[in-house]
Amino acid sequence: MPGESDSVLIARAKEEPEAFGLLYERYVDRIYNYVYYRVGNHQDAEDLTARTFYRALKHIARYQDRGAPFEAYLYRIAHNLVANWYRDNERRQFSSYDQVTVSAPERDEPAAVAEMKDERETMLQAIRRLPPERQQLIVLKFVEKMSNADIAQVMERTEGAIKSLYYRTLAELRGELVREHVVGRTDDE
Amino acid sequence: MNEERLVEALTIHTEELIGQPKDSSPLALTKEERGQLAPLFQLAEQLHQYMYPVQPSADFVRSLGQELTDNARRQVALSRRLRRAVLIGAAALGSLLSIASVVGAIVFVIVRLRTRSRPVEASVS
Repeated sequence: MPGESDSVLIARAKEEPEAFGLLYERYVDRIYNYVYYRVGNHQDAEDLTARTFYRALKHIARYQDRGAPFEAYLYRIAHNLVANWYRDNERRQFSSYDQVTVSAPERDEPAAVAEMKDERETMLQAIRRLPPERQQLIVLKFVEKMSNADIAQVMERTEGAIKSLYYRTLAELRGELVREHVVGRTDDE
Repeated sequence: MNEERLVEALTIHTEELIGQPKDSSPLALTKEERGQLAPLFQLAEQLHQYMYPVQPSADFVRSLGQELTDNARRQVALSRRLRRAVLIGAAALGSLLSIASVVGAIVFVIVRLRTRSRPVEASVS
């Protein structure tokens, strides 16, 4: 039943394998998106998404509902796996994002599309140089379009702390992009 | 300049951008605050434009879903077997304890009977 709450599905999943399948279908796209924007390529995103769900499945029998949504639990697993992935790939050079289908807003002029593609690529790479928790915040906010309250549950912080972190993250990212000359300095800076 | 106001203004702007407008009305910003926030507003707009959702391949989603369901099936079966084994083990242990206690009781009674009968035999002789 697609309308069942996560809590009901989790309880059922302890005895019925199909119930875990429903939870998977509900969250696979979101977890995949999160991981993709953290690692930057589809191959690793698929691998880490699979590992996230395998780990959730392994622990589902012992999962205890403490009020936080199941989605927050999955994001935390994914976040830890991405952190391990970064550690294991420390020396690996980051290649460009696989999917760069950027549409030019007005006309599909090749030059405009190429320029936007470059700009996007530079921005995504600048995001990946931020500390992990700041990357996490940006992805949850702009890709997953989560509210500050929901992000606070995933990141185990208060809503106020998330707001401040977001402000500092954007300021840091802007500084990074100014150094990369992607955005210009303003008179106030 | 009050940083809390800047944080709040940036939050309101971004929530409107991503389609989660709050009930709170926008703050009346000073010229200086607007100047400081303008590049951050612009950056938030760029992030909104460039960070769009991507789709995992349908093959991947289908095959992983199948693998997980198979795995879940095995996991449930294994935990049922384990539970049954624990139950049988506990029952066996319980039975053993019962048998041991019955045997113990019988031995106790026999020993008591023998020790009572000895002094009588001694006095007769």
